[in-house]
Amino acid sequence: MGEDGARQVEIAVRHVTMEFRRAKQEAGSLKEWMVRALKGGRQYERFKALDDVSFTVEKGEVVGLIGTNGSGKSTMLKIISGALVPTKGNVIVDRGKVQLLTLGTGFDLELTGRENVYLNGAIIGYTKRYIDENYEKIVRFAELEGFMDEKVKNYSSGMVSRLGFAIATVRDTPEILILDEVLSVGDLFFRQKSEARIREMIHGGSTVLIVSHSPSVIRNNCSKAIWIEKGKLRAVGPPKEVCDAYEKRKEG
Amino acid sequence: MTGLHTRAQYAFVIRQLTSREIKRKYSRSYLGIVWSVLNPLLSMAVLSLIFSQLFRRSIENYPIYYLTGYILWQAFTGATTAALTALVDNKALLLKVKFPMELFILTRVYTALINLGYSLAAYVVMLLVFGVTPKWTMLLSPVIILLLFLFSLGLSYILATAYVFFGDVKHLYAVALTLWMYCSAIFYPVEQLHGVIRWVIWANPMYTYIHCLRQAVMYGQLPGTVQWLQMILWSAALYILGSTVFRRNRNRIMQKI
Repeated sequence: MGEDGARQVEIAVRHVTMEFRRAKQEAGSLKEWMVRALKGGRQYERFKALDDVSFTVEKGEVVGLIGTNGSGKSTMLKIISGALVPTKGNVIVDRGKVQLLTLGTGFDLELTGRENVYLNGAIIGYTKRYIDENYEKIVRFAELEGFMDEKVKNYSSGMVSRLGFAIATVRDTPEILILDEVLSVGDLFFRQKSEARIREMIHGGSTVLIVSHSPSVIRNNCSKAIWIEKGKLRAVGPPKEVCDAYEKRKEG
Repeated sequence: MTGLHTRAQYAFVIRQLTSREIKRKYSRSYLGIVWSVLNPLLSMAVLSLIFSQLFRRSIENYPIYYLTGYILWQAFTGATTAALTALVDNKALLLKVKFPMELFILTRVYTALINLGYSLAAYVVMLLVFGVTPKWTMLLSPVIILLLFLFSLGLSYILATAYVFFGDVKHLYAVALTLWMYCSAIFYPVEQLHGVIRWVIWANPMYTYIHCLRQAVMYGQLPGTVQWLQMILWSAALYILGSTVFRRNRNRIMQKI
């Protein structure tokens, strides 16, 4: 498709359909499940979280994925990061390069900041040596000098998100960064700092996918926007146009 | 930064997760990991106080008889009950990870194994205290423990998968464990039982592991052919069954979570 230009496709989402089989009444307990299984009347309804969605993200682009809650955004993320396998269609992406950053998740509150850096780093694929070498850098960026031996449960939510952001973005190599609702919180100063860091990463060749339900985040940071509503692709295009349409739709 | 999917990285992840489990477990206690050593000893003291007299004639070295069963049983229940909630507890992480999510289950089971290591330290001291002479059959212990580990891991896969879909499994398993414990002849001699219950105990894999370890450590006897078969078949069967169940349901687990 776009192979004629200098740009290279980093993520190709091709006709992705995700169908969930959902029991009409969720069997929350084993007993219910067995009763229903015995009756033979296990009724499922199929519902499509994503319905034939296709788009591409090119290298160096900053793409915003917008949609209301339950629109299928997070299902899309899970498919791109490889956590879910779609019912139909496929996604072509080098999963080794994908870095998913969600807020506050993955921290163990009972552990210290330092321990969490290692735990989290290990989980997102850093080697021990790499963390050793970059530890100071992470702490400095998160502005948590002097707090690292404190348990994370004593951190403020801003401190937690700073640390999460610092760990995930310490890597310099070009890669694919997926930010799930990360830029919409935190204090203004750090938000500017993290937006600056993201711009830096884009210059370094990173591709960024920002997921948000807030149009302003998408407008300020993205070069392209994708709007998903009720599992269907509604619009792809310049952030301003897509966000305007999205806002109008919400009012109407 | 290369080699994201190498074994070394998995090992690093497992180490990190394990150290987190252990730190978590003892994060609110002064003695910390020492409890892994103290717990079996205290339990042994209590049970010996009560039952030593009762079983004086049938069991010659009651504290060691009990302790051998107890530490294996603890390792097994510790592993499986912790692994049961492994996937649900790590919900948030499952989406970010770049490694197979089996590692979360494996980590919980491995943590129990580390704990068993500490308990074994206490065990060795007690062997000396109660005058159990060293025997070459003791060298067999790691093999028995390894088989028990595989057995626990297989069961853990099944439990963790089931728990994602049915919260009840946790309570059901707790009850099942109580029943299972009484059928494992941990604190009483099996010789006094007859009939059906004797068969149940004989067929119980946990009893086989415990019995074989007792034989090897206390009496210097190797497991017989039937016992070898029992241990190996149970371990292999549960491990294969568990990983198959898990693999088959992987996508549905992610959807549910």
